[in-house]
Amino acid sequence: MKITEIQIKNFGKLHNINIRPLPGINVIYGENETGKSTLQQFISGMLFGIEKQQPQGRPGKNDSYQQYEPWGSSSYYAGGLKFTVDGKPFFLERNFYHKEKSAKLTNEADLEELSVEQGDLEMLLGGMKRETYENTFCISQVSVETKKEFADILQNFFINASLGREGGIDLPGARKRLEDGKEKAQANYKEKRNARREGEEKLLLEEKLLKKDTEQLRKQKKDGYRSLLHKGQNLMVPPEHDTNQMAEYLRDIRQQKEQQEYRLKFGASLFLMLVGLLVGIWNGAEHLFEVPAAGWIVLEVLLGCFAFLGAVGMCYWRRKSKQLKRLRLQQEEEKKEMEQYNSMEREQQKVQERQEKQAREQAVEELLEIQYLDKQAELTNLQEELEECHVPGEEELEYERQMKAFELAGKTLEQLSQEAYQDTREQMEQEMSRILSELTNGKYKKVGLDSQMNLVATAEKRRLYPWQLSQGTMEQMYLALRMGAGGFFTREEPMPILLDEVFADFDEKRLEGALQWLGKQNQQIFLFTCQKREIEILERRGIAFGKIMLSR
Amino acid sequence: MKFIHIADVHLGAKPDKDKPWGKEREGHSWLAFTEVITKAKEEQAQLLLIAGDLFHRQPLIRELKDVSYQFSRIPQTQVVLIAGNRDYLGENSCYRTFSWGENVHFIKEQRIHCIDLEGIGVRVYGLSYGRREIQEDLCSGISVKEDGCYNILLAHGGDEKHMPFEEGTLGKAPYDYVALGHIHKPMKMIGDRVVMAGALQPVSSEDTGEHGYFMGELEKDGVKVDFYPLHYCEYVSLNMKVNKDITTDALKDVLVEQIKKAPVYQLFKVNLTGSRDSSAPIELEALARLEQVAQVTDRCHPEYDFEKLKLKYQQQILGRYIEALEKMPQDEIVKKALYYGVEALLAE
Repeated sequence: MKITEIQIKNFGKLHNINIRPLPGINVIYGENETGKSTLQQFISGMLFGIEKQQPQGRPGKNDSYQQYEPWGSSSYYAGGLKFTVDGKPFFLERNFYHKEKSAKLTNEADLEELSVEQGDLEMLLGGMKRETYENTFCISQVSVETKKEFADILQNFFINASLGREGGIDLPGARKRLEDGKEKAQANYKEKRNARREGEEKLLLEEKLLKKDTEQLRKQKKDGYRSLLHKGQNLMVPPEHDTNQMAEYLRDIRQQKEQQEYRLKFGASLFLMLVGLLVGIWNGAEHLFEVPAAGWIVLEVLLGCFAFLGAVGMCYWRRKSKQLKRLRLQQEEEKKEMEQYNSMEREQQKVQERQEKQAREQAVEELLEIQYLDKQAELTNLQEELEECHVPGEEELEYERQMKAFELAGKTLEQLSQEAYQDTREQMEQEMSRILSELTNGKYKKVGLDSQMNLVATAEKRRLYPWQLSQGTMEQMYLALRMGAGGFFTREEPMPILLDEVFADFDEKRLEGALQWLGKQNQQIFLFTCQKREIEILERRGIAFGKIMLSR
Repeated sequence: MKFIHIADVHLGAKPDKDKPWGKEREGHSWLAFTEVITKAKEEQAQLLLIAGDLFHRQPLIRELKDVSYQFSRIPQTQVVLIAGNRDYLGENSCYRTFSWGENVHFIKEQRIHCIDLEGIGVRVYGLSYGRREIQEDLCSGISVKEDGCYNILLAHGGDEKHMPFEEGTLGKAPYDYVALGHIHKPMKMIGDRVVMAGALQPVSSEDTGEHGYFMGELEKDGVKVDFYPLHYCEYVSLNMKVNKDITTDALKDVLVEQIKKAPVYQLFKVNLTGSRDSSAPIELEALARLEQVAQVTDRCHPEYDFEKLKLKYQQQILGRYIEALEKMPQDEIVKKALYYGVEALLAE
């Protein structure tokens, strides 16, 4: 930006003044109280406006509005400024009077009116704020030392640089968006993963149960059927005899008794028969030669009957006894046969039983084997399914990738922002060092900023804060800081440098160095001074400059 | 001689387990298998070739009984089957002890074995998997008897971990027909002579396109087979190109319209491409909830000209961001991160 015309209508003690500065160095010379500082404030006020502080606010030296309120006519408080930006001419008019406050910006090339309110002027100033300007290129008479606020401004600048704000980019917003994206992807990912894990757990439980089943089957297969068969065997044992021993025994005894009885009866019959016969014979012989008497014959007949009965009884009982004997023999034989038969049957039964047992064994074994195999197959399948469960699904993988991508994006941004912070800071420090080195003819080569954004110079490996140095050196350092930093704040369009009595404490040599440095700058420079030495040096050095004389 | 060739029936598979139609999908493999048996009966096919992976996992006894029952419905058809990589003949495999019907010939051998079907004048060469993977090609370079019988090779595999045979080599061998399985996409590899049957029905949503069986005639002067699709389920890829102006609702309407026109057995895999508006992203969940939509993938990117952006934001954080990510190895995460970051930085 180059100021081409300063039109002061009514500002502080200055009225109706028109100045046309040169694009390079302008020395504004005037004795004290001629309005040099007012002119500086006018330029700054034109560029950034002057706010009247709140009425209840205590009027103080910081209240520029009151300070430069025109004497006598407070309502006529205005001026104009013509300047070029990037070669294009603009005309800015302001009315500072708080009741009619206005600003009018015109593009003089096409007479298009721009809007100060909507930030057109700010854009022309390259986004430079008043506070920044006053801490860099605009150095007032009070002190070259930057104010406390500048530390904050610098810190913010670095942060903003690291935040990428220069390009209209909102890094915190981007960070938040990436964080949100990551959280969403993470939630989705976790949902899918947990669902998979749940399935896995279910399968694991199933596997456990199945393993138990299989184990049981294996045990059964090994010894289970034996106990099963043993029980069956007990049940299957057939009765050893199907005849009743007791009954047989009783029958035997009964038959023996019968036999004896038959024998006795047989003996009795025999005796009866013999007695009858013998008595008959004897009786017959006694009376053989006698004439038979009637009694004798009856007796004889009676005896004959006895003998006959005895013989019949003998025959009967003998037969009875024989029959019984035969029966008993038969029974004995039957019994033997029966016994024989029984033993054969048992043998057969045993063989059959063994066969049956074997078949049963085999069947059970086969059944168990099949069941076992089936369970094993089921187990294998389940384990396979479990294995498949370990592999995340496509959706889960996608969410995981999204999550990781958001993470990577966030991390990269963070890293870049750190780098940008450091880079910008280092660049600025380099620029400041370069300027300081020129200003001090190489005595101080390095100046930097500590963590609190305080200036630190390094000379011969010593860290030196400005207060440890002479007033002149300190001012040189601050000048370097201001000029160096200023360049960073106005990268696109350098702002005019306003220096109000900055070199008062500089000795001849330092002043020469400073002026020489200023002479090399492309920026427009306004040098306010009440001394003639600047003009002399500039003239002596052959540096072109414009001279503006202010007088009371 | 009429024959049917199927593979990868994957009985017992549970596709789309977490979808509402998951239960229904479980039954599809059985239904399709039963339909093939019915078809064999109707067409009086003399030979049914099953090229592995009849089961999705190790078969259980009752499953084998079910299958055996199906085979018993076609006593006139000779069935030859092998175990694939999924239903491989493990140590405890129920295949080992199961006894099949007379018309069923299960090749248990794990080296090429020949089944002589004298009744129909066919010899089938084949082998079963004894483990999950077979990394060598066991079915090439087998000497084949040439005596007027038809020679058929029944094999399962075709990728690097599952018998990496080359169809060219198989084509040169003097088989009258090569019945292949394992790759789920049905295809005639060399004319009608070397055929990959493909899955009988899709096993997962990856198996897009039609699936079914091959049926044909083997004659002295060559073989002729045709593909017969079965329509229990079919996954269809649907690419939708979106632009910044399209809203979720509009997209939903288009999709619903598309689905309405499609047969009910089709399930859609929606793939969104094109550029999207990052401030109003399309709600994928809303689309995924639609009926007959199996999957929604978002491959949209905001349209960025990274070169231009780099130039415009040179030395600034955005430009540096693009450069930093472009320097990283370009995997999917980095690519995504590039878009995410630029999107976040440019958002207002």
